[in-house]
Amino acid sequence: MMRFYVIFLLMLITTLSAEDSCISCHSELDEERDESDKIVAKYLSGIHAQKEVGCADCHGGDPEAFDDEDEAMWDVDNFLADMEKQDQLDMCGKCHSDPQYMRMFSASIKTDQVSQYLTSEHGKSLVKGNQKAAVCSDCHSYHDILPVQDPRSIVYALNVPVTCAQCHADGQYMKDSGLPIDQLSQFKKSVHGVALLEKEDITAPACNDCHGNHGAAPPDVVHVKDICGTCHVNNRDLFQKSHLFSELSKEGFGQCEACHENHAVLKPDDSFLDWSENSVCIKCHLDGGSAKIMADHFYTIIDSLKENLKLAHSIIDSAENKGMIVSELFFDLEEARKVLIHTRTNIHSFSTAYVDTNAAPGFKAAQAAILGAQASLNELGFRRKGLFYFSLIITFLVVVLGIKIRRMKK
Amino acid sequence: MSKFYQWINERLELDDAIKFAKKKRVPIFYGTVWYYLGGVSLFLFAIQLVTGILLVLYYQPGAETAFESVKFIVSKVEFGWLIREIHSWSANLFILFVFFHMFTVFFAKAYRKPREMTWITGMLLLVLGLAFGFSGYLLPWNELAYFATKVGSDIAGAIPWVGEFMLRVLRAGDEVTGATLTRFYGIHIAILPGIFTVLLVMHLMMVQFQGMSVPPEIEKIPEEKRKTIPFFPDFVLRDFMVWLIVLNIIALLAVFFPWELGQKANPLVSAPAGIRPEWYFMFMFQTLKMIPAHVLFLEGELFGVMLFGVGGLIWFFVPFLDKKSHMGIRSRFWTWFGIFLVVYIIILTIWGYLV
Repeated sequence: MMRFYVIFLLMLITTLSAEDSCISCHSELDEERDESDKIVAKYLSGIHAQKEVGCADCHGGDPEAFDDEDEAMWDVDNFLADMEKQDQLDMCGKCHSDPQYMRMFSASIKTDQVSQYLTSEHGKSLVKGNQKAAVCSDCHSYHDILPVQDPRSIVYALNVPVTCAQCHADGQYMKDSGLPIDQLSQFKKSVHGVALLEKEDITAPACNDCHGNHGAAPPDVVHVKDICGTCHVNNRDLFQKSHLFSELSKEGFGQCEACHENHAVLKPDDSFLDWSENSVCIKCHLDGGSAKIMADHFYTIIDSLKENLKLAHSIIDSAENKGMIVSELFFDLEEARKVLIHTRTNIHSFSTAYVDTNAAPGFKAAQAAILGAQASLNELGFRRKGLFYFSLIITFLVVVLGIKIRRMKK
Repeated sequence: MSKFYQWINERLELDDAIKFAKKKRVPIFYGTVWYYLGGVSLFLFAIQLVTGILLVLYYQPGAETAFESVKFIVSKVEFGWLIREIHSWSANLFILFVFFHMFTVFFAKAYRKPREMTWITGMLLLVLGLAFGFSGYLLPWNELAYFATKVGSDIAGAIPWVGEFMLRVLRAGDEVTGATLTRFYGIHIAILPGIFTVLLVMHLMMVQFQGMSVPPEIEKIPEEKRKTIPFFPDFVLRDFMVWLIVLNIIALLAVFFPWELGQKANPLVSAPAGIRPEWYFMFMFQTLKMIPAHVLFLEGELFGVMLFGVGGLIWFFVPFLDKKSHMGIRSRFWTWFGIFLVVYIIILTIWGYLV
């Protein structure tokens, strides 16, 4: 495979060299460079080469001038080589902000990257003259730029955290920004990070899903619920209607992150409600009070639903292992399990009445499953008792027949 | 009561039948116990007939209804579970007892002249019994049954010349579908019982008219010196006692070892691991698995099917091939052939379940 790729690349370079002086000369220069610095090879592996966007389309110059370096580059007015970060924005934006041009490649392609960028913290900082602010090539790399859907791309979902961390985890680089540098290490521990980086679940959020990509900025405290609510819709809706939301908003306190953290979003656990060291409520409600009563109530509801489910499961398993048909009871079990999941969401209403009302069908379903399974076990007992009496009758008849046969023998 | 009996007797001539039964004698020797095997097989067939008719009252053939109706029978219908369990267990025990019956008949040389036709009808009844098992296995339309039928009918498709035609006839198309289920149902409840009953009546009539066979060495003892008992009521009562014990065993199996219904068949999912045929097809299935892909110029599967075809024909015509038996001599070759077959079936069946 590798051999095929090298042959293909050589053929491509040979073909393109004949038409493009940039490729022709830089291929020769690349021969003395390390693998990671070979400009032409990188370019040829990227999306621009695939779409036949040549070197001169970004850098200017004259790709038809084969004989003289000055004629090809330095003497041409529009030639761009080592450029300022601001120039890079113009260079990329020249095409990527032109809907008419970009439509040639895809009907649904976005062209708002530069305008979005200018609203981002990166963009604002660049405008202020901060040359450390990230621009296009810092996130997308240059020459070997790949589409976001390509797993080799540094902006592919699984690679985004590491790409962002190139700057954001570098203490020296971020020294003057006043920002923390532990986001990646925090994220790796989080439920999102585990799903994305360990389980490689690309539906799990990466940095850009909460912060935006081209318009990257930290969400305002008051809008955190909307950011989290993009995925956790029910939790957001319930929380937004709760008394806790209005009180937190009044005081300007954090919302979702107050209990769940931000980069280190913990995997939610029922012990969050258990009034002990794991409890998240205790972080603010040190004195307990009504918060403790509510948390205890929620914890009891969830715990007893879980216990009911466990009991139902064990009786159903027992009946099933003994050969009884209990498949219909799994519908009740599923219903109860669904309600348990909803109850964990419903606690975001911070209303005991709401939680109780909506948990009731779960208890009912679990009870139905328990009763159904018990009825199955009772039926099994009935069958065994029936078998016992039947065997008694058969044994009696066999003994009577045996006696009769013995008498007949005599 | 006597008036009622008289009324019946005048019309059915019961007295003559009883006289015949009383006159008939059953030999008493070391192998008398074998005589019960045929009777037990008959009893099990009768149980299947009764439970089968009861199941038909609720069973609904069809890809969308079969599984659900069986589930309904075992979970909602009063004593439906018992009827299904007894039907399934008696079906399996029927095949087992027919096998026992066949081998005891074989080793007692009971197929020798003049009972060749009794053997032939018995063999045909065994083939029909296996067909009953194969067709009935699909009826619950569960995953295991579906894929086992697929594999089983594929093997039938490997039969030379007629295989493809047989496959299409069996499946009512190219694939195992709801149409196959309906076809199997028709075969199971109408075609097979019809043919089976005719053959069974022939088989029983021959047994009754020709009497019980005894092994050659017993036959050499002068008739007046042989121990016998009257068929009626002595032997019939013994038979009845064995039937009661078998019935109790079935009830025990039904309560403690119920047949799993499993998951509904889904032709779109891949076959689950460990698909196996019913135990009585296992030795053939295992043999086919062991045969290499190509044997000489033949495909392995075709070679296997031909091997069983030839083997089956030899077994079928054994009364005509074992010429010594007609002279009351035990042929060593045929005895060892039978022993080899029994050992082969047992080992391959166990092997099939172990791998």
